[in-house]
Amino acid sequence: MLLKKQLQQIADIVGEDYFSSEEYMRKLYSHDVGALPNLVNDILKTQVDAVAQPTSPEVVSKLLQYCLKNKIPVIPRGHGTSGYGGALPTKAGLAIEMTRMNKIHNVDTSNMTVEVGAGIIWGNLIEELEDQNLTVRAYPSSAPSSTVGGWVAAGGSGIGSTKYGGVSDQIVDLEVVLPDGRIIRTSSPPDDIIEEFVKQEYNYFPSDDEYIWAIKEVEKDDFDLTSFFVDSNGTLGIITKVVLKIIPLHAIRPFVASFKTKEQMIWAMQEIMKETRPFYLHFITEGFNQMLTDVDMPTHSQHPWVFLCAFEGSKEQLDNEEASLKKIVDNNMGVLEPQEVAEHEWDERFYPMRIKRLGPSLAPSEVYVPLSNLQSFIERVDRHFKGESFALEGAVNNKGEVAVLAWFLDDERKTIAFLMGWYRSLDFIELGLKENGRAYSIGMWNVSHSRSFFGKKKYASIAQLKKKTDPKNIVNPNKVFPGPIQLSMRFNYLIIIAATIIAPVVLWLAGLWVGDIMAAYGLEWLAVTNLTSALVAIGIGLFAGVAVSEIANYVPINFMLTMGRPFLRLGRKIFH
Amino acid sequence: MGTKTFERLRESALDVEPLVCARCGFCTFVCPAYNDTLWDSQSPRGKLYQLRELILKNQPIPEDFAERIFKCTLCGACQEICQTKIPLLTFWQKVRQEINDAGLWPKVVHLLDESIQSSKNIMDLDQEDRMLWTDMVDDIVEDRIDKPAKVAYFAGCNISFKGTLAPIGENTIKVFDHLGIDFTILGEEEYCCGNPYFVGGEWDKAKELAIHHLNKLKDLGVKTVVFNCPGCHRAFNEEYPHMLGKESVAGIEFLPFSQFIAWMLREGKLKFTKEYNEVIAWHDPCELGRHQNIYDEAREVLNAIPGLVLREMKHSRNKADCCGGGGLLKGTNPLMSVRISGRRIEATEKTGATILASECPSCMMSFMDGIENTGKKIKFKDLSQIVVEALGL
Ligand SMILES: Cc1cc2nc3c(=O)[nH]c(=O)nc-3n(C[C@H](O)[C@H](O)[C@H](O)COP(=O)(O)OP(=O)(O)OC[C@H]3O[C@@H](n4cnc5c(N)ncnc54)[C@H](O)[C@@H]3O)c2cc1C
Ligand code: SF4
Ligand code: SF4
Repeated sequence: MLLKKQLQQIADIVGEDYFSSEEYMRKLYSHDVGALPNLVNDILKTQVDAVAQPTSPEVVSKLLQYCLKNKIPVIPRGHGTSGYGGALPTKAGLAIEMTRMNKIHNVDTSNMTVEVGAGIIWGNLIEELEDQNLTVRAYPSSAPSSTVGGWVAAGGSGIGSTKYGGVSDQIVDLEVVLPDGRIIRTSSPPDDIIEEFVKQEYNYFPSDDEYIWAIKEVEKDDFDLTSFFVDSNGTLGIITKVVLKIIPLHAIRPFVASFKTKEQMIWAMQEIMKETRPFYLHFITEGFNQMLTDVDMPTHSQHPWVFLCAFEGSKEQLDNEEASLKKIVDNNMGVLEPQEVAEHEWDERFYPMRIKRLGPSLAPSEVYVPLSNLQSFIERVDRHFKGESFALEGAVNNKGEVAVLAWFLDDERKTIAFLMGWYRSLDFIELGLKENGRAYSIGMWNVSHSRSFFGKKKYASIAQLKKKTDPKNIVNPNKVFPGPIQLSMRFNYLIIIAATIIAPVVLWLAGLWVGDIMAAYGLEWLAVTNLTSALVAIGIGLFAGVAVSEIANYVPINFMLTMGRPFLRLGRKIFH
Repeated sequence: MGTKTFERLRESALDVEPLVCARCGFCTFVCPAYNDTLWDSQSPRGKLYQLRELILKNQPIPEDFAERIFKCTLCGACQEICQTKIPLLTFWQKVRQEINDAGLWPKVVHLLDESIQSSKNIMDLDQEDRMLWTDMVDDIVEDRIDKPAKVAYFAGCNISFKGTLAPIGENTIKVFDHLGIDFTILGEEEYCCGNPYFVGGEWDKAKELAIHHLNKLKDLGVKTVVFNCPGCHRAFNEEYPHMLGKESVAGIEFLPFSQFIAWMLREGKLKFTKEYNEVIAWHDPCELGRHQNIYDEAREVLNAIPGLVLREMKHSRNKADCCGGGGLLKGTNPLMSVRISGRRIEATEKTGATILASECPSCMMSFMDGIENTGKKIKFKDLSQIVVEALGL
C-alpha cells in the first residue's frame, strides 16, 4: 500500500488530472480481458494502488525514477486488451497507462515509416494514415482499442501478418524509458548497454587490443536492442515512441471458402501459402462456426470449415491471386462463398469474441503450431478436451506458422469449476509444443515457457539487461521473468491462522494415536494433553504459519502454475 | 413496479450483460464521454465492469457512480461497435431506471419530470404558449390546429418553446404550404412526446403521453406525421409501439423531415431547380441514424440540390460521433456536452465544408454552443432551412 505522501508525490509528477487513486479507478486499471478466479485475487495483490497517465517521456522517466527509489512496483499498461496477464498487477503498485501519449510525430514517406506515441490506438493511426494514402503493414484484430506500444510489448501477429510478419517485423526503432529513468533509442543504445553485451565476446582475446576493437565494432552493428523490447511485456522499460514500417494503401480483396472437412480446408490453406501471398489467412473450425450460429451471427457458409483469405495489392496482382485461389479451392472440393459473405467476414475480422455470450465467460489460450501440423494439432486438442465446450480459430503468419486461438466457454460465477478450468489454457499450450509449436505470448500466465519462447541465448540476454537496469525488479514483476510471488495480506493471515488452529489439533491427535512413537523419540512433550501443552502447540502453529507464509512468498510463479496444473485438472473433472 | 436492487435489469434479462462484456475496449474510443476524459471510469467498458461487481454482490449503485452513468449521451456508438452485441442502449436506459428507483436521478431529470407532469411540456411553460413558434407563419397555420387531415406536423417541445429553434418549424410549414399539403397540428394538445422518460429509463411515465397522442392523431384521421425532431420521431416510431404494442400505431406512418422530402422528390412533387452553391458536411443525428438506421434520405435530398457539395466527415453514418446533446447530458453535464460538440465542429472543419448540417433541434443547440465555444467559422443549418433556401421560399 502506498503512503498518502507517496500518492501525492506521484500526482505531482504526472499532474493531478492524470492521476487517480480512487478505489473504483484502481479496479478499472487492474484487469485485462481475462476473468480471474476469485482465489487468484485472494492470493495475489491484483489491484494497483494508483494509476498515472503520463503525457511525455520525461514524465515517464520521473515516474520510473521515483518508483525505483521507493521500490514501488510499476505496471505498464496500454489499453488492457491482452489476456496473458502481462498488464495485471501481482504486487499492487502503480499502473502507468499510456493512452495519452497518442500523437503521430512524423510520417516519413521517403523511408516509409511513421513515428508515433506508444499509446496511440491502432485504429486511429490507420485512419490518419489513410488520409495520406498510406497504411500499416499489420495490425492486431484488437486494432479498434489496443495501443501500438501494447502490441509491441505483448508481441504476436495479426491482420497483415500472413504477408508482412508479426509485430516484430514492423518495428524500425523504439524510444524507451529504462527502469532507471534513462530515455533511450533502441537503434542507438547507450554505451554501457553495448559494453554489457559485447564484453563477453571480446574477453576471449584479452591481449590483442586491435582485434578486440574490431570484434567490438562488429558486435555493435549486430546488436539489436529493439528486438529485446518486443514480447518484453514492459519488463525492460516503458516504450514511449514506436517507429513503424508503412506501405502505400492498396485495395484489399477478401474471399471466404468453406469445406466439408478440416483436411480439405487445411490442404487448401497449405497450397495457398505455397502459391500465393495472402495478406491475411484465417480459419475457423466447425465448432467455432456452430457457436457463431448459436449467437445469431452465422457465417452463412455452405460448409462448416471456413477460411477467410484476403489479398492486398494492385488490381493486376489481385486478379492473379484470385485466379490461383479459385483453382486451389476448387481442387480441394471447397466452395468459394459469395462476395457479400466475404465482405461480411472481412468486417468481422475484429470480432473473435462474438461467441462469449455463450459462456458468459471465455478462457482463451493461444499457441503457434506449424501449418503442416495443424490437422494433427486440432485432433490432439479435440481428444484432450473431450467434454469441454471450446472452439478454435487461427491465422497463418509469414513463417508458415498458425497462431491457433482456443476459446473455452465458462461461467465465472461457478467459482470452483471456473478456477479448476484454468488448467485448459495451460494444457493447450503444452499440446501445441508437442506439435513443434511455441508459446504465443508470455505475459504472466505463460511465464514457465519464457526460456523456450525466447530461446536460451536471447532469454539470457534480456535477463541480463533486466538485471542491469532493474535489479530490484520494480518494472512489471512476475512477467516474462518468473520471480517470487507476493501473497496478499489476507492470504498470509489465512496461512498463519490455519496453522495456529491445525497444529494443536494435529498434536493432540498425534498424542492419542502415536503417543508411544513420540515418547520413543523423546517428543512426548509435544503432545497436547493439558492447557499448557495446548498453548505450546498454538505457539508452534503460529511459528510454523509465519514460516510457511514467509516461504510461500518466495515461491516462483511458474512453480506455482506448473505444480497447480494437475490438481486443477483433477478438480475440473470432479466439479465440471 | 419492482424496486429491489437490479430488479429492472433482471426482469429484462440484462443483468448478465456486464458478464458478457469481453472488456475488449472497442466501445471506449467511440464513446464521447470517454474521449472527453480518457479515463476508463467514463467508458462503457468501465461502467460495465463496475456494474458487474455490484450485480454479483447485489449491492446498490453508489451515488458517485450514478452520476457517472449519466455522463453519457445515449448516442449508441458503444452498441454499434460492441464485440459481444450487448444491447447497450436499452441497458443504459434500464440502469438509469435503476438509479431512479434508488432515488438518485440527477436534479435536472427530476425537474423535467415535474415539468412534464404539471405542464405537459419540458419547459414548465403554459401550454397556451405552445403555438408561439408559428408567429411567422400564422397565416398558414391559423385554421389548421386540431383540424382533421391526413398529414400532421409534430413540432415537439424544443421547437415549440425555444425561440432560436422556431425557424425549423416555420420552414417545415413553408414547405407544406409550397407543396399544397392539407395538414394539421395538435396545438395545445401537443404534449411532450415522452422522450425524457425514455432517456431517463421511466417508460411507465410516458405511457399516458403516448396514449394521448395516438388517440388524438386517430381522431383527426392522420395517416402521416412529420417530425423535425428525431427524439420525438423515435418516441412515436419505436417507443410507442414498444410500450403499447404494434397495433397501437397501425395505419400511421411517422416520417422525419428528410424522409418526407425524399418521398416528395421521388413522387415528383418537389424539385430543386435553383443553384445552391454551398459546401456542406452532414451530421447524422444519433436518434435517427444509429438508433433507427435512417441515413440515406437526408443525403438523397442534399444531393438533389444543384450546386450543393456534400462532404462526409471521417466518422459518418453509423460511425458518426455524437453532437454532445443527447441523453440529457446538456442538462446534467453542460460543459462536457459543449466540449463534445466542439470535437464534431473540428471534424467538420477538416472536410473543408463551411456549413454543418443536420436535422435535429437538439443537435442544433449543441452545435451552436460548440461553434461559439470553439470560435470556428462554421455555420450550422438545419436541413429544413437548406431546403427552404434552396427552394427560395
Ligand atoms: C478482440 C481482441 C482481439 C485481439 N487480437 C489480437 C491479435 O490479432 N494479435 C495479437 O497479438 N493480440 C491480439 N489481442 C490481444 C491484445 O489486444 C494485444 O496483445 C494488444 O496488442 C495489447 O495492447 P494493449 O494496448 O491493450 O496492451 P495491454 O494489454 O495494456 O498490455 C499488454 C502488455 O504490454 C505491456 N505494455 C503495454 N504498453 C506498454 C508500453 N508502452 N511500454 C511497455 N510495456 C507496455 C503491458 O504491461 C502488458 O504486459 C486481441 C485482444 C482482443 C480483446
Ligand atoms: S451511449 Fe454513447 S455516450 Fe453513452 S456510453 Fe455508449 S458510446 Fe458512450
Ligand atoms: S465493446 Fe462490448 S464487449 Fe467490448 S468492452 Fe465494450 S461493452 Fe464490453
